[in-house]
This record gives sequence, C-alpha cells and structure tokens, in this order.
Amino acid sequence: MTASRTAPPAGGEALRMPALTGLLLTLAALAIVAGLTVGDRTLPPGTVIDALLSKAGRVDTIVIWTLRLPRSLAAFLAGAGLALAGFLLQALTRNPLAGPGLTGVTAGAVAPIVVAFVFVPSLSSVWYPLVGFVGGMAAAGTTFVIASGRMASPLHLALGGISVSLFLHAVTIYVLLLSGPQVPSLLFWLSGGLQGRSWPQLSSMAPFVLLALAGALAIHRVVDLLSLSDGAAMGMGLRLTAWRPLVLLLAVLPVAGIVPVAGPIAFVGLAAPHIARLLRPPGSGWAMALAATIGGLMTVLADLAARSLAAPRELPVGLVTALIGGPVFLYLVQRSRTLTTEGER
Amino acid sequence: MTPLAPPLVAHPPARRLVPLLVGLTLLAPLVAVFFGVADLPLGDVAAVLTGGGSAEARSIILDIRLPRIVTGMLAGMQLATAGFLLQTITRNPLADPSLIGVSQGATLSVTLFLMIAVYSHDPTPTTLVALPWSWLPAVGMLGGLVAGGLIYLMTLRHDLGPLRLTLCGVAMGALLQALALGIVAGWGSSRMEVLLEWLSGSLYARRWEHAVFLAPFTVAGLAVLPLLRRPLELLRFESTVARSFGSAYRRDFSAVLFVSCALAASAVGAVGPIVFVGLIVPHLARKLARGHFPLVLPLTVALGAITVTVCDLLGRLLGGADEIPIGVVTALCGVPVLIALLRRTP
Repeated sequence: MTASRTAPPAGGEALRMPALTGLLLTLAALAIVAGLTVGDRTLPPGTVIDALLSKAGRVDTIVIWTLRLPRSLAAFLAGAGLALAGFLLQALTRNPLAGPGLTGVTAGAVAPIVVAFVFVPSLSSVWYPLVGFVGGMAAAGTTFVIASGRMASPLHLALGGISVSLFLHAVTIYVLLLSGPQVPSLLFWLSGGLQGRSWPQLSSMAPFVLLALAGALAIHRVVDLLSLSDGAAMGMGLRLTAWRPLVLLLAVLPVAGIVPVAGPIAFVGLAAPHIARLLRPPGSGWAMALAATIGGLMTVLADLAARSLAAPRELPVGLVTALIGGPVFLYLVQRSRTLTTEGER
Repeated sequence: MTPLAPPLVAHPPARRLVPLLVGLTLLAPLVAVFFGVADLPLGDVAAVLTGGGSAEARSIILDIRLPRIVTGMLAGMQLATAGFLLQTITRNPLADPSLIGVSQGATLSVTLFLMIAVYSHDPTPTTLVALPWSWLPAVGMLGGLVAGGLIYLMTLRHDLGPLRLTLCGVAMGALLQALALGIVAGWGSSRMEVLLEWLSGSLYARRWEHAVFLAPFTVAGLAVLPLLRRPLELLRFESTVARSFGSAYRRDFSAVLFVSCALAASAVGAVGPIVFVGLIVPHLARKLARGHFPLVLPLTVALGAITVTVCDLLGRLLGGADEIPIGVVTALCGVPVLIALLRRTP
C-alpha cells in the first residue's frame, strides 16, 4: 500500500487533479440539486430554483429547505468523512482492507445505542447521538490502548481495531436476539440511513468532518511518509510515537460525528479511498481530497436512489452504496495497471 | 508488509504446546457430550458411549449432541484453515474467507434458494410446509464456489497479484452482500426467521447429514495440506522473492486459493458464516506458535476445532432454552484472549 510518488506532474498533468476534483464536486452539486426535484412530491426544476432563492413559506419551500436539501448535504458530508477516515486508516495500517470500522468507533457507537433502545426504553431518542458518541470514543480509546502496546506496529492497530469491532458487534447481535419485537426498526437504523435528517443533525456532524478534513490536509506530508513504511518514515525524521496517534485521532473524529447521526454506512469508507488511488493522484493531499469527494458523491447518489427507487419505502443507504460503488470499483481494479507493479513488487 | 515473518531465532515451544492441544482437542468434545440443556446424569452418558443406555438418552446423545459436535469441529477446522491460507497468500492479516466472496456468495444463493422455496410452496404465511433443508449446505457451497471462482477469474485476467485479489474480493463481496440484503428487504414477512437463523451462523439442529457432507472436504483438505507446506512457506513472501526460490508462483497461488475456497465454501454452506473463526483463530495460533512457522498450521487446525466446540458448549449452557448463536460466543470469548495476546507479545 505504498503511495507511489511518480515524477512531479508536468504541463497538462499539473491540472489533472484540480480538474478531476472540480468535476466530481460539480457532479455532486448537480446530483444534490437534481435530487431536490425527486421525492414523494415531484417538483419541476423551476419551482426548485425559485424555492432555493426565496425562502417564502410555501409547502415546496419547506419540503426543499427542511427535508431534501439538508438531507443531501448530510449525505455528502457523511460520505466525505467516512472516505477520509478510511484513507487515513489504510495509510496508517498500510492495509488495503482497513476501513472506518477498524477504529472500533462504528461498533462502539452502535452497541450502546442498541442497548439503550432495548433495555432503557424511557431514554428519549434525542440522547442517542450523545450515547453513540461516548460509546464510539470509548471504543476508539480501547483500540488506542491496544494499538499502542509495546511495539505499536500497524499490525497491532489493525488487529486491535478489528477485535474491538468484532466484540462489540457480537454484543449488538446478542442484544438484538434478546429484544424480539423491536428488531425490525433497529435493523433499519443499523443498516445506516439519512431518513428525516435535517439541519440539527447536519450541524452536529459537520464540525467533526470539517475539522478532520482540514487537519488531514494540513499534515498530508506526514500521511505520505506514514504510508511508506515505519523505517522510511523514521528515516525521514518523523516521530512515529507522536504522529501515529494524531493521525488515528483524525481518522476517529469524522466517524464519531457521523455514526450517531447516520448509522453505520457500509462500503463508502473502504472503497472510496481505493477508487481515489486508482485515479493515480500524485500524493496523499490530492488523494485525500479526491477520496472525500468521491465518498461524498457516492453517498449522495446512493441516498437519492435509496429514497426514490422504492418510494414510499426507503432502502438502506449502505446497500445502495455497494450496488453503485461496487461495479465502478471492479471496473477500475480491472483496468488499473499500477496494481500490477504493486502486486508483483 | 511482512507481518507473518518469523523472528530470526525461532524458539520452538512445541514440546509444551503439542500435547496440551492434542489433549484439549480430545477433551473438548468429550466435555461437550456430557453437558447440555437436557440434564443427563454422567453415568447415563457414559453408558450410551459404551453402547448401552436408555432409548431416550441414546437419542439425545447420538442424534442431537454428537452430530452437532462433529459438525462444529469439522467446520471449525475448515474455516480456520481457510482463513490461515488466505492470510498467508494475500499477505494480509485482515483476510478471512469473506475476502474471496465465499460467505457473501453463499448468503446470496441461500437467500435466493429459500425465497424461491418459500414462495413457490407457501404463498400464505399461515400454512407450513417442509422446506428443503437438506439442500441448503449444497446450495450454499455452490454459491460460495461460484463467487470465489468469479473473483479468481477477474484476478487471473491480469497478474494474480494479492492486492488485486484483495480489492476484487472486497468489491465483489460487498456487491453480492448488497444483492442478498436487497432480497431480504423486499422479502416480506413470510418465514423470514428461516433465513435469519442461517445467516447468523448456527450449529442449531445440525444432524449427521451435515457432518457427512463436511467430512470428505475436511479429510481431503487436511490431506493436501502437507503438499502445500513448501508453497505456503514461499507464498508468504512477495512474488519475486518466491519465484527466486523456485516457486511456480501462479500454480501455487491458484492451488492454495482453490483449497481454501473449497474448505470455506463447504463449511459456510453447512453452518453459515462464522466470522470469528476464519479471521481470528489463525492469529491466536500465530501468537501461540511464537514465530515457529511450521507449527502455525497444525495449531490453527486444532484451535479451530477447540474454539467452535467450547464456544458452542458455552452458548448452549449459558443461553438455556434460547441458545446463544456460536458466532456471538466465539467473538465474546475469543476477542479478550486475542487482545491479551496482542498486549503481551511484540
């Protein structure tokens, strides 16, 4: 999983990354705006633009401003954050199978919420994001402690994270088995989704995602070095004991903000970084920007499909991300030549 | 990226470990036979085992407990071995049988099969008909093999590199899983529990048919392992290194992949996907073997059998009438052990 740094892009190549990122961002924006017309009540594009520009108190305006727009923005942020977390973890553990689940945060946020749902029904669901956040941070702390053992190798981090996740996942399953009649409503939340998310939820997760994104982009050179090897990073004068926990923290932050709001959305965090890398970005900085954009675009499209394909029912968004992202991913893996050199080296 | 490499001074802990594990492998099923939800006096169990005993005790022991234990042991050995082989050839410590799409392919085929079976026989949820249970292992195995074969072909078109295999497997697995979940979402409520039980990975109501179904795969799989010893030791390294030691990389890689795919697919077909065994047991074995590579494979096989037997026993005893599924118990018990080992060993 080394970030292969090719020769500095020359001439037209220099503009490739900004152009590609810009194109994907435009696509995401177009998808969000186009998505505003789709739903239980189909609105013509003209009405949408009117409603976006003037906040008059008509039904259409309310539909767009409190239901569809925040939901799509939340989908973009969630996808971008998960993709960033996945990228950082893949760099940190140097393992292509790493994803946001590896921090333990996802399982850590889910388990206490499920426990609260089943055993403390008096607890209002308003508190669930807080419960999930505390659980997620506790799980991440455990992963930290395991990963910072004697050697603190990437292998320890990967195994520690997956152990914590498996354990908490088993707790969740067991509680689900005990709960009986509430299972269907829980199962829906467990598969992740953005149904009914509005501005409060969006503003509760935005700081986490944006902070992590800014932090990660600021230290993209460190991420570059970390994704080489421990020896190379130390040889370049990097203090692993200081930087590794910081990068792990940056990976934990977005997941901790997203999971309590949107549930565990599968596949985005694992696939988006790989898709970004298959587009051959020149370094970690652009790779992270690209991964976040791709993750956001994927989730926006998936959310759009999830709420419109089977309307009035909703499909779990994590399922649609795999259906949309899977074929793209497979196509890129099949086409890529850089993989050959990596696999053969 | 060589996390599996042994330290230079290999300290063989074999003298202490091997007798202990052989003992445990024999002891675990014995204990599992003696304890269960139905309280049989120890004397009765012993009488049945020696050929006597009452009809009721004989039926409980011979038709319920023994087949279940044997199926569990065989499946545990197969899943752990498959996980170990995959982790070795992909050189990825997070690999497990789901990486080559086996679990997800099996899930999709079983879901499709059950849906067709349920809805072609049983359009209303009030009538009950016998479902074709005995077909499930074969259907699951077929689905797993097809998925594994598909991923193999996609990798073979290019270079058969571990990274391409990993990425293809991840994407294919997610796609198949999503299709299966989509079917579940549109399933309706008619006899959904049938599917959920299989999906959670369970040894509940496993009969001799399951053990007989698995046995040929276990025997064949374990029998070829000695032949794979040398290829495996070389496939741990990058392909250029392996080739320079005289390894026929493509042939060896394909052979090991095929063996692990067959082992995993048949086990998943019989008992459903049990995540923990294929992923974590090889790591337990590696930690216990302390870098003595030839010891890891036998340890993996033994620990796979022991883990499943002991955890299934715990699940049966602690859960009472509603037993705790094996997948849950293995994770709850096994993870603390692994974490302790992770903290202790470098």
